[in-house]
Amino acid sequence: MSLLEVRGITMRFGGLTAVDDVSFNVNQGQIFAVIGPNGAGKTTLFNAITGVYEPTEGSVRFRGSPVRLEPDARLGLRAAIVAIFAGLSAFLAINIQELWTVGIAANYVLDQPFPWGKAAGDALDAARAVPFAWGVLPAILGAGVGAGTVVALWQRSRRTPDLIARAGLARTFQNIRLFTDLSLVENVLVGMDSRMRSGFWTNLLRLPAFSRERTWTEREALELLAFVGLAERAHEAAGSLPYGHRRRLEIARALASKPAVLLLDEPAAGMNPSEVVELMELIRRVRDRGVTVILIEHHMKLVMGISDRIVVLQYGKLIGQGTPAEIRADRRCIEAYLGTEGEG
Amino acid sequence: MRRLPVPILAYFAVMAALPLFMGASGLFYDAFQAIFVFSLVGLGLNVVTGFTGLLNLGMAAFMAIGAYTFAILTSDIYPFQIGFWWGILATIAVGAVAGFLLGAPTLGLSGDYLAIVTMGFGEITLDVLKNLEAVTKGTQGINPLPRPTFGSWTLELQQERGWYWLLLGFVLLAVLAVRRLERSRSGRAWLSIREDALASQCMGIPPKRTKMIAFATGSALAALGGALFAALLSSTGEPASYDFQVSILALCIVIVGGMGSVAGTLVGAVVMVGMNSLVLVKLADWAGAAGVGNASNVLASPNNWKYLIFGLALILVVRLKPDGLLPPRLEGGAS
Repeated sequence: MSLLEVRGITMRFGGLTAVDDVSFNVNQGQIFAVIGPNGAGKTTLFNAITGVYEPTEGSVRFRGSPVRLEPDARLGLRAAIVAIFAGLSAFLAINIQELWTVGIAANYVLDQPFPWGKAAGDALDAARAVPFAWGVLPAILGAGVGAGTVVALWQRSRRTPDLIARAGLARTFQNIRLFTDLSLVENVLVGMDSRMRSGFWTNLLRLPAFSRERTWTEREALELLAFVGLAERAHEAAGSLPYGHRRRLEIARALASKPAVLLLDEPAAGMNPSEVVELMELIRRVRDRGVTVILIEHHMKLVMGISDRIVVLQYGKLIGQGTPAEIRADRRCIEAYLGTEGEG
Repeated sequence: MRRLPVPILAYFAVMAALPLFMGASGLFYDAFQAIFVFSLVGLGLNVVTGFTGLLNLGMAAFMAIGAYTFAILTSDIYPFQIGFWWGILATIAVGAVAGFLLGAPTLGLSGDYLAIVTMGFGEITLDVLKNLEAVTKGTQGINPLPRPTFGSWTLELQQERGWYWLLLGFVLLAVLAVRRLERSRSGRAWLSIREDALASQCMGIPPKRTKMIAFATGSALAALGGALFAALLSSTGEPASYDFQVSILALCIVIVGGMGSVAGTLVGAVVMVGMNSLVLVKLADWAGAAGVGNASNVLASPNNWKYLIFGLALILVVRLKPDGLLPPRLEGGAS
């Protein structure tokens, strides 16, 4: 069984088909490359895999099953939403002022003990006088609207990027997206979020669990920064990093969640030859940590040098796949892409 | 615990000592009590807008919800009368729940749309408070409200120094709470959404839940500010005291102080509220006394200069210090 199976993914935007029926399998421990000319649909394919887009057709299976929220999750929250809608509708339909006047204002005398039982009884009597349909029908209607909202939200929330990231697919972006005002360590710590357990109250009250978690997460974040060679700048703002280093920080941030698969979108873009060599080395070391790497890349030396397997896209269609040697020998792939290489 | 940065420590040291040199000037205490109330509201808005990047133009509504919750639960015109301290706790809780309720259906909206919804929420809240007369007493407001007690000792309304320190104490607690959250997993999640919402989500941060928690935290702080404001006056005042202008003032505090900066928010509140209710009032008094200007002419009246100078100062700050007076990274301590 493959680690990641892409099955017949099609991505349409209006009349434009950006990705057309693409299927491939990625095995555990591979370095897997997606190549193709500009506009071939590579980044769109990445976005469909990581949940940024919902594929028009097709599915992505990770460890044999689709990544999505199971129906039993967060049942309480959804019940609460339905209840709030129902309650609000009933509240709006019943005359609150009337109930307040009859129940509280009429029974309360300054400095006298307040007859809670009588007040509740009076309010209840007043509520009974309201025609049944006025209170209960809106509540049922409200519950219906609430349930509809929940179902709609549920459908949309099943394959969001955060769920997919938590399942173990981490990514970087073509146009580097760091948290520029945060320090390097903080960037990595955000990436580590899915492995943290401390909640709002733990953080606010600084319970013992908070310090324990802070100790190991900060240690691990520094280790990751050392792994990509940025340890000495750990407390600088990410926005102050030179371009080449930003790519490395993005990789460290993505690795922080201990992903099974790392998707790199053009990691070598804009790098000079010596930086590319360092990057190849880094990607190999990532693979050696047991992370499967999928990369989009234009830099042929890098792709041919480190990939175990390559797929070629053109106009959204998959036109060939195989080992680097096989791709080099494939006429169609050469015509589509390799032959026209020159901008590097 | 890591220490508070120097600007915040200096602020609290100066503020705590200030009344010792001020004698019993009413204007001074009025101004600073307002400054501390708006510091709380500003700190709340700083969580929502400064940290999380969600533009909220309805902060006054949460102040109003806080003030009225506190008033209904504590005033002796109603049977609940749970007392000052329980009232404050209940207010914080109700404020947080109100934030959740507004946030649940709306936080999927982005940028300007959310701003419009929060603005509408502010207006609706005012209308409800005005018209639900049996409960809120309409434009009269609810009064009287109880005074805080410490054991058997009660802080009376005219003990202005006591109120000053009490409010300063609340501001200190709020600062500690906000700073603790900021420098934890919760706060980093907020900041990451502000910095880059898509990247944040792709790192596994659930956007909606994270935004809701920010919204609830901010609303709770604003509600606390509102409750203290009401306690200070022993009345909620009329609903119009929580109008759109108040929301804008809160926003100005955060922008002038420096978006996302706790120290900046404190400074922003001193500058904005202080200028409004201390400096410009004095200036107008002085001009009036010196016979400068002409009170019968709209443009030449010293009382109207106030607004002119206020606007001018605001433009100057935004022009000369676009990141605010104390931008977040100058606050000290990156991680």
